[in-house]
Amino acid sequence: MSDLTLGEVDEDGAIGEAVERVVGGTRADFLRKATVGGAALLGALALPPTGSAATAKDVDILNFALTLEYLQASFYTEAERVRALRGKARRAAEVVGAVERAHVTAFREALGSAAVARPTFNFRGVTEDQRRFLKTAVAFEDLAVAAYKGQAPRLESDALLSVAISIHSVEARHAAWMRYLFGIVPAAEAFDEPLARPEVTRIVASTGFIVSGGRTERKAKPRFTG
Amino acid sequence: MDAKPTAASSREQLLKRALVAGGALTAGGALIGGLPRVASSAPSPAQDIRVLNLVLLLEYVEAGFYADARAKGVLSGELRDFVTVVGAHEQRHLTFLKDALGSKARKKPRLEFGNASTDPDAFVAAAVTLEDTSVAAYNGQATNLTRAALAVAAKIVSVEARHAAWIRTIAGKPPAADATDPSLTQAQVLAALRKTGFLRS
Repeated sequence: MSDLTLGEVDEDGAIGEAVERVVGGTRADFLRKATVGGAALLGALALPPTGSAATAKDVDILNFALTLEYLQASFYTEAERVRALRGKARRAAEVVGAVERAHVTAFREALGSAAVARPTFNFRGVTEDQRRFLKTAVAFEDLAVAAYKGQAPRLESDALLSVAISIHSVEARHAAWMRYLFGIVPAAEAFDEPLARPEVTRIVASTGFIVSGGRTERKAKPRFTG
Repeated sequence: MDAKPTAASSREQLLKRALVAGGALTAGGALIGGLPRVASSAPSPAQDIRVLNLVLLLEYVEAGFYADARAKGVLSGELRDFVTVVGAHEQRHLTFLKDALGSKARKKPRLEFGNASTDPDAFVAAAVTLEDTSVAAYNGQATNLTRAALAVAAKIVSVEARHAAWIRTIAGKPPAADATDPSLTQAQVLAALRKTGFLRS
């Protein structure tokens, strides 16, 4: 049950079908739903980037990013629900969680039927303790920075690249914020290195936080916050 | 530009495949407010040099500012930690960009920081402005760079974003409130720098 890797989650059959469109709803749709700032640029995700179809490669990259955003959004949402955080950490979880959920919404809008399903997560109690929460948040955010850095230059569409790179720096702000709250230096190195996709996938899989791919054919009741 | 050996071949591939912005920049750019246009032409090695010189100017100002603050030695506590760590980063960015540009690198501007390098409140306000401007400048140039150059610039922009979040946290400002970071055009970046009053040449 826990042997499903992020790579498997990511290999959704719908990708092939929807190569022709990375566009989901309209920009106006997204803007109506958006609850945090920066929505105008995110809304650009839902536009045909070149006036023609997004490439299969770009759709694949967006789905990879969406999976990471699902992971983060679910983590912060669960942390808010269990109410174990206090003070500045609680406030940070609320703000960062809202942003990660906005990223999820934007990617899902952009991908439409090509969007991978949300996996089921089991965060194994890390949301129930402030120190463990912060330590995990640091790991997630640093990972997201490295993952976006690895993928953004691979995007073929300039419009998508503009959005991805502006999400990338937001993830870096989150990373610094969580590191500060955890009590470690927010910016450890002069240069942040990228991580290749297989490496990111391996790291996520090693956490055991993804317990199912969230495929609709699964009949088991969801046991965990997802 | 530097390249990790493992990434070098894929970067070359990226370079070969480097997408011509063409329609993408026009169609997307018209709809994404404030998408930068340092040049209206497609990414090219020549344009990379122009873009990298813009961010080099920012690194000169940042590195110079933090070096001056360290030399004055007035800051204490969290601000001293910040200026020590971040100052060293900016110096490395500066050296890296100068090396990458070689003889094409712009000259160091004359800089004066007034009380911003000694008064803690003025220091924090200036650091927030410089770091946020830096993030927006790098982001704004992303599509103007060749993908190979972007892959390298991306290693710097996230560090600038970390600096921005750090100093904003110290200042009691939200480190990251929005879902995306804004972009600035070259003209907007230069205007923001002029407004600091630090540039004297």
